[in-house]
Amino acid sequence: MRVEYINPFVEAAYGILKEVTRGEVKRGELYLKSTSMPVLGVAAIIGLAGDVEGRVLLDMTKDTAVKVASAMLDGMEVEPITQLNEMGKASITELANMITGQAVTKLHNLGFKFDLTPPAIFTGDNMEIADTGVEALIVPMELEQGKIEINVAIRERN
Amino acid sequence: MSSRAEAARQNRLRVPHRGGGNRQQNEELETIDYKMVTFSLGGKDYAVDILKVKEIAKFAGFTFVPNTPPYVAGVFNLRGEIISIIDLRIKFGLPVEQRPDREAECGLILRLNDMMIGVIVDSVDRVVGINSARIQPPHPIFGDINIKYISGAVEKNDRLYIILDVERILGRESEQTEAPRSERTEGRVGALAEAMAGSGPAPAGAKKVQPGAAGAAEIESGQDQYELDLSFIKEALPSYAQFYPSAINDHWLRARYDQWRRERAAANREAQFASPDEAHEFLKPFYSQDTGRFWCPELIELFRAVLPERLRNTVTVWNPGAGKGYESYSLACVLKKSYPDSTLKIWASDNDLLSISTAPNLVFRKEDLPDFYHDFIVAGTNRHSFAGMIKDSIFFEYHDITHPNAVPEMDIIVARDVLSYLRAEQQASVLQEFYDKLLEHGLLILGDNETGLDEARWQRVDGARITAFRKR
Repeated sequence: MRVEYINPFVEAAYGILKEVTRGEVKRGELYLKSTSMPVLGVAAIIGLAGDVEGRVLLDMTKDTAVKVASAMLDGMEVEPITQLNEMGKASITELANMITGQAVTKLHNLGFKFDLTPPAIFTGDNMEIADTGVEALIVPMELEQGKIEINVAIRERN
Repeated sequence: MSSRAEAARQNRLRVPHRGGGNRQQNEELETIDYKMVTFSLGGKDYAVDILKVKEIAKFAGFTFVPNTPPYVAGVFNLRGEIISIIDLRIKFGLPVEQRPDREAECGLILRLNDMMIGVIVDSVDRVVGINSARIQPPHPIFGDINIKYISGAVEKNDRLYIILDVERILGRESEQTEAPRSERTEGRVGALAEAMAGSGPAPAGAKKVQPGAAGAAEIESGQDQYELDLSFIKEALPSYAQFYPSAINDHWLRARYDQWRRERAAANREAQFASPDEAHEFLKPFYSQDTGRFWCPELIELFRAVLPERLRNTVTVWNPGAGKGYESYSLACVLKKSYPDSTLKIWASDNDLLSISTAPNLVFRKEDLPDFYHDFIVAGTNRHSFAGMIKDSIFFEYHDITHPNAVPEMDIIVARDVLSYLRAEQQASVLQEFYDKLLEHGLLILGDNETGLDEARWQRVDGARITAFRKR
């Protein structure tokens, strides 16, 4: 992945997560991954198109998803949730949208043109994502509510 | 052909374990991949690696410097650059041929890292090309010069050339003169000098010296120990320095190990690494010329010499292991100069996030850059950076080359000192990927010391002084 793309995603993820949870956010060490990997329980995915092709995936456990969604809803003075209902899923989808949207805006200002696809959310137990043939950048984020892994795979159109 | 057979037999006698069947076959092929400048000292033939030689020169009117060792002949003004001159004959205690007054001395200008040093020899002979696989490890009978300065010996056209180790002779001068020589080295040199005494000093005859039966047995068991010690080194390198010995770097590794053993013996120390630092020390000479900095004009010329005259309208280049980007920028400038009408696209990647992140915004001072680059740079607020046409031609990527590589087909792949830092099976798969991605006319450039590719698939570019291959 081009190095110019990395910071916008890291900054956007850090900024948005801090803003919506209003708590401490700690960024873990970035690394690259290309093997198929287990999904923690809730995965929100957004496709990228334009000059590039790729996707952004937010991965977390159900418990973390519920807590993060509650924190977001709390911020809007909406009743917190106890399980991952429609409202919860919509919140996590929105979180993915906010992070990716802000990153793409930053990238646009640097002269890179990206388009987004509408987000989708997957939930379930024992899920695995297999996109071998794709190398992804992993940005681990530690929140008070748990861990969120932001998994970004982008490549140039040749 | 009997002399060849004799030489081959001697080969096996001296290095009984060197490689299995495959390697043995490769060694018989007469491809020239090592060139050396030959010269004479005290009536015998010596050689140095041509890559270490900057030029052949005549020295006249140099300035004596007081309070220097006797072998320092003085300093010399080489087109405005002051270099020191060493008389190799005095350094090695060989007879000095007196020249008529004021006649220029013959010599070589050697390049050692950043430094240039002139050496005086009796006469410079010529450039001889050989197959590096035929270089034999040094043997104390080879000459009057202390074995630790010899990196090997090779026979060509019935002449035996002793290849001197430039780094050892010129580098770390003080360390060598002060280091105590071990009893063992001393003893062996002594014993063999005695053996020599009977057979006469002619170097061409040296290869015919047959050690006695007892001597042969000693060498035999010594070789077992040698291979065992070497295998420990090979096992330590991956864990200490993430360096993976393989066929690709085997040639260098063996030569370096021979040198290392001598260095360590001279310092009365074990050849094995006591710490990662020592493994890094061992690997220092491995790195290719101009690693981690802009390519110097000489390297640029060596690279241009292997470039095809014409390439496609879009020239694609793959540069894994790009680090902070110096190599990629150098490549971009050279290629822009060589193919001004082509569009240039360079995929430069590294798995070290910190290094590669700085690459797109690399700045430098103009005066630190050779003139060659000056057409391609622009002034910033207080530093210079590369012009848009160069910057825009390079994609810097945070990428692990062992992961899937989403790159198009390539005209040129430059991966210097990259493969040796991958595990053996990864080396094979990445090399396969290079093979698949490289266009038919494409060029693969590996590190200066990464020369051992499968000859059935890769052909070393003739006469190239950098490690350049084409697909067969």
